[in-house]
Amino acid sequence: MSTEFNIVSEIYNNTLVMRTDGYINNVAGEKIIAEFSKNFSGSMNKVVMDLGKSKVVNSIGISYLIDIIEKLNESNGKLVFTSLDPTIEKTFNIMGIFQFAQKADSVEAALK
Amino acid sequence: MEHNLLVEKLSLQAESFQEGFEILIKCSNFDEITKNFWHLLRGNFLVTNIHILHKLSFGAEWKIITSQTIEESLDQSLLEHKEHLSIKYITNKKYNAVVVIPLSDSSYLGILVGKKLDGGDLNDFDKITLQILLQVFSSAYNSFLNQKNEKKLIFELNEKILQLNHLIDADIELSRYDKQNVLFDLAIERVVSLTNASSALIKITNTEDGSVERQITFPSNLNQEIIINSPHKIEFAFEFNNKRYLFVLSEKETRKGATSFSDLDKLLLQAISRQVQASIENEFLLGQSLEKERIEKELNLAAAIQQRIIPKELPKIDGYEIAGINIPSKEVGGDYYDCIELTDGKYALIIADVAGKGISAALLVNTLNAALYSYLEFNLPLTDLADKLNKLIFKSSPSDKYITFFIAVLNSKTGDLDILNAGHNPIFLVRNNLELEQVEAGGIGLGMLDFGIPYEGKKLTLEVGEKLFLYTDGIPEAMNINEEEYSDERMIEFLKNNSEKKPANFIALIVSDVKNHVGAAQQSDDITSLFLKRIK
Repeated sequence: MSTEFNIVSEIYNNTLVMRTDGYINNVAGEKIIAEFSKNFSGSMNKVVMDLGKSKVVNSIGISYLIDIIEKLNESNGKLVFTSLDPTIEKTFNIMGIFQFAQKADSVEAALK
Repeated sequence: MEHNLLVEKLSLQAESFQEGFEILIKCSNFDEITKNFWHLLRGNFLVTNIHILHKLSFGAEWKIITSQTIEESLDQSLLEHKEHLSIKYITNKKYNAVVVIPLSDSSYLGILVGKKLDGGDLNDFDKITLQILLQVFSSAYNSFLNQKNEKKLIFELNEKILQLNHLIDADIELSRYDKQNVLFDLAIERVVSLTNASSALIKITNTEDGSVERQITFPSNLNQEIIINSPHKIEFAFEFNNKRYLFVLSEKETRKGATSFSDLDKLLLQAISRQVQASIENEFLLGQSLEKERIEKELNLAAAIQQRIIPKELPKIDGYEIAGINIPSKEVGGDYYDCIELTDGKYALIIADVAGKGISAALLVNTLNAALYSYLEFNLPLTDLADKLNKLIFKSSPSDKYITFFIAVLNSKTGDLDILNAGHNPIFLVRNNLELEQVEAGGIGLGMLDFGIPYEGKKLTLEVGEKLFLYTDGIPEAMNINEEEYSDERMIEFLKNNSEKKPANFIALIVSDVKNHVGAAQQSDDITSLFLKRIK
């Protein structure tokens, strides 16, 4: 249904960086998981998700992000969200996401 | 003896069972639990050939979860369809035992235990160990499910807190916006997020002709037909100011696909829509308030213009007493009076009333005043003066604006009056015998038509003791709270009874009488009057 969501990923120094663009909902969540599964390797201990171009997220989308956090926890990896819209940041705060994931102002800051 | 040995061996194993349980309850998913359980079984029985299968419900197909090797010939028929725990010890070439465990989530675990490494069967100790391990698995799996449920409950609780928080935030944010494009974008984003809607539409139609004025979709490039035709949708609409605002949400998302929206979703949609309605209404009311403020400023300006034109003091005319008044109504009208000193002991007495109110009426009075002062210098016949004024007012005013106008040029030495009435109320000349003479002659109001219709003047003489009463319709048409007019009759009666009074007194008394009649009602029009009395 959501025709606008896009995701691209790159790997910098063994860190997977995924950049989303659009509404993070069910369809987007599936795309995020697929992109993560395609590019994540067990040797990575950090994944960065840049949500700068995503202004809206629903709880189904969040549940997929939690899946990624849980998968990373299994391998002692961590997830860092960057460029968060204030509304999304507040949403993640309320949902307790930042108990298990981190946030940074930018991808560059997250890669440090 | 054998029994004691068995108990002793089991005691030694107890710690191992405890460790196994702790490993299993630390697992974060079903695959991990079964994988670790598989290792436990292999380690305890020294069996390599162990298969674990799972099916989601009683009637579902078995799926192999863990197996050291994928065997095409895995004989699932060995797994009996039983709803309760079943452990069957068998003796064939491959397996020692077949187990079916019903799990607390209505799924089933199947276990095929192969031959031991030494090729032997399971002994009594093994059988008891197997039963204990099955119990360990069940307990660990229940713990896993409880944790999973706990996570789900926490997620749902957080989701409700999030909804409440977003609703409050959205209400505050939406109430701040006075730009409708931002308002609708924000509302649509908030409501899809709150309800897990896949897409949404706000459609604004004109209720008079049905035309679509605007539609906003989320995501923005989505065809609105997809939303409108969705089998899973909810709607809410309100109307305001000849517009219908329709809000549609389509396809509530779950991880298993689209589903119907709940009653809570409908309430959330209503809440957001109502807030948008409140913002639109507030914006409208603010606009009205600003417009009212603008009009009030305009009226103040109009009043200032009018008050500048109305004479503060009338000239003293030898042999005469004169008084005048102008009481503007709340809405500034276009009443005007003056007494302009001309040459050779002549004076022009003027009263006029512009049709309409507000700044345009005040400006038109201003035009009349300026033109009068100019034309009067040329000592034109009043008919020519009226003709020129008519042309000027016709050109400088919209078609619905005109001026009723009365002018009397008094020769103060002789009492001769040169009179012209251009569409104004009849003016009264009070003769010494108290008879009233109405002065109506003249023509149409100034600026009404420009067909060259000639004006007609009149000549009268004001004898000593006689009076001239000029007024605007604000006096006879003054209404009380029952919408009863002061009336021409009452005004004439008042004039007859009080004309002997000094002009200033007369004016004060008639205003007082009119105000007594009006009472608590609001003054609807300007009250203007001029009273001239020849005293010698």
